[in-house]
Amino acid sequence: MNEILRYSELRKSVHGRLLFEIGTLAILERHCVALSGRNGAGKSTLLRIIAGLEAPDSATVSYRGQDLSWRRASARLRGDVIYLHQQPYLFDRSVTDNIAYGLRRRGLSLREISGKVSEALEWAGIGHLQMRNARDLSGGERQRVAFARARILSPRILLLDEPTSNMDSESRGQAYGMIRRLKEEGVSIIVATHEYHTIAHLCDEHLLLQAGGLQQQDAAEDGERKIIPYG
Amino acid sequence: MDSLSAATAESFRLLFSGDAELWIIIFTSFSVSVKAILIAVPVAFLIAFLMAHLRYPGRRAMIAGFSAMQSIPAVVVGLTVYLVFSRSGPLGDLKLLFTQTSMVIGQALLALPLLVALSHAAFQAADRRVWETAVTLGARPARAFLTLIHEVRFGLTAALIAAFGRIIAEVGCSMMVGGNILGYTRNIPTAIALETTKGEFAQAIALGMVLLMLALVLNGLLAFFQGRGVMSS
Repeated sequence: MNEILRYSELRKSVHGRLLFEIGTLAILERHCVALSGRNGAGKSTLLRIIAGLEAPDSATVSYRGQDLSWRRASARLRGDVIYLHQQPYLFDRSVTDNIAYGLRRRGLSLREISGKVSEALEWAGIGHLQMRNARDLSGGERQRVAFARARILSPRILLLDEPTSNMDSESRGQAYGMIRRLKEEGVSIIVATHEYHTIAHLCDEHLLLQAGGLQQQDAAEDGERKIIPYG
Repeated sequence: MDSLSAATAESFRLLFSGDAELWIIIFTSFSVSVKAILIAVPVAFLIAFLMAHLRYPGRRAMIAGFSAMQSIPAVVVGLTVYLVFSRSGPLGDLKLLFTQTSMVIGQALLALPLLVALSHAAFQAADRRVWETAVTLGARPARAFLTLIHEVRFGLTAALIAAFGRIIAEVGCSMMVGGNILGYTRNIPTAIALETTKGEFAQAIALGMVLLMLALVLNGLLAFFQGRGVMSS
């Protein structure tokens, strides 16, 4: 599998306390990684750094074989890497407008946008919600809108922060289904979770963020070691 | 008492007969204050956003400064603008004193601290995920800023209404920098002040009623938008 993105010498501290220091983190094409760890271990922070939403203390990023600073990489990765919050934020507008939000930044015609939105609504099984205000939806429905809104942009990497927390079993099942389909469509996924067993069936690899370091828990599918614990 | 009743009756006649002088004063008032708000709003929103979302040295002092500036008397703002635009002032060559432009500048300066303080509160209360979601979906900073404005629009509208309410009713600044010139810089508050000192109560009462109606409407809108802001947060 090809490597899409690699973080080297990634270090992050919060209020003067070292949160983690990671030697190398590589994200492979069409690969699903479960990132587990206790609350406060830094899972969300790590995802947010990869998404370009939070700056590390230091890091070198290699994207498509080019070495970049974190800041330049963040600008380059915009649209290619999408981060979904634990509780996704939906804008105070219709479901259709939410899903079309990212596409409107890409200079597509209204006709193209409309076609893609219809396809995304169907993909997520939320066609009946299209005219509803996104704020009026249930937690599970919001999650489906957020997945559709991310998928429509054809991201290369999707970062999911505890995507099934506080969900009933039906909504959880739907979320797993969408993650599986995204993976089948070729999207690389990192799922942060503190309950690895719930997501294990979808993931190719399990990374544990613990005591400031990243450890590989399971052997990779192809036997190649992709994560090197720092130090 | 009879003269007061007669003045009130005359004020209604002036209002509803379409008295040209009265309606020019009302138009001048709205024209100046709307322009002042239109100038102050983008500046205030940008300052408020930066204060709410960036961490930089002096930020707290800046927040406290804008908060304190809300209570600067209008007449002091008027005095400052007067000195700047007076013949011997640094911008005296522009010859803006006693023009609507100087009134607009004065009112914009008066509205700015209130707009900044109230919109800062709205931005501060905004969910951090709004900005992050916009950015992760590919929005550039300017677009993400507009998205954030949309999400906190009720709080920002409330700030705008409160600031408009303050400047349309102020008399000190407009009187000093406008000069109260009939048909040009005379607005509702300065006209009321002048007519009252002349003992001509009819026009003052008519204009007072306009201001009172405006205050009621603005307060109604303020309550509505503040309520929507709370509900949508």
